[in-house]
Amino acid sequence: MTVIALTLGGMMVAAGIAVLFVKDLLSAIIITGFVSLSASVMFLLMDAPDVAITEASIGAVLATMIFLWGRGKIGGDG
Amino acid sequence: MIRTLTGLIIVLALGAVAASVIPEMQMRSELQGVGYSYASRGMDETGSSNLVTAVIVAYRGLDTLGEVVVLFCASTAVVLILTLFPIGVRASEPSRIVAFTAKVLPAPIMLFGVYFIAHSHLSPGGGFPGGTVIASAFLLVMLGSSSVPDRNGRLPAIESLAGLTFGLLGFWGVLTAGQFLNNTFLGTGTPGTIVSGGLIPLISIAIGAKVASEFSGVFKAFRNTRGEA
Repeated sequence: MTVIALTLGGMMVAAGIAVLFVKDLLSAIIITGFVSLSASVMFLLMDAPDVAITEASIGAVLATMIFLWGRGKIGGDG
Repeated sequence: MIRTLTGLIIVLALGAVAASVIPEMQMRSELQGVGYSYASRGMDETGSSNLVTAVIVAYRGLDTLGEVVVLFCASTAVVLILTLFPIGVRASEPSRIVAFTAKVLPAPIMLFGVYFIAHSHLSPGGGFPGGTVIASAFLLVMLGSSSVPDRNGRLPAIESLAGLTFGLLGFWGVLTAGQFLNNTFLGTGTPGTIVSGGLIPLISIAIGAKVASEFSGVFKAFRNTRGEA
């Protein structure tokens, strides 16, 4: 349990730093989505399924999709 | 240079704030104060086996009403801006995988969202998560079709009706129990059964419909401003 949480937390921190240094906008968006999904698993580990559901649907799906469409609008290829 | 410096200063300031707060935090093994009161009396008072929903909808229902208003303003602003300044991107045909997924998956996802909303007082879930899950099903439908019919009217109507329902349910409490958003005037039922929790299921349905239609409206606005430029 603690091992899983620590591994997940380490991956989240690494991904969060990686977002800053990735040159490609698409990769940055996908990594942000990964951070949200890990956060959702983390909430589940901390016995907060309500928050986990919200984080998974909003952070990992809806926000990522908004970012992707926004990227399409500012001149990527959609 | 200045941007990097400003960012560094902000990060260091936030770090200093966090470092000063963390030593004060202590993990208590027992709940105290308001939390203890909610946890010990919540199920008897509201009839909801899910305490999180009981706190969100029943005890702090007014805060949830404010949250719903904030979400309403935000989604209205997004749709307004996207309608006034359509910055078009050419819509691309969905690939076969996406098109097939968008035919199969939306119905189960939608059912899952409805389950979250309808069982908000029994199991983890609630109006807000359920609404977003339903909205993501509609998102999948939109991704699978190359064009979205540009009909207006129904989404805003559902949204307004749901918001109105929330408010009227609150005022119903004023009329019958003398208290805005009173949860218990309908009776609370047996905790754990589907008809229990007083007003909680009804308000959850209203919140779910509102959130789902709001997010769907935002996605539709994003999708429909494509193709003009």
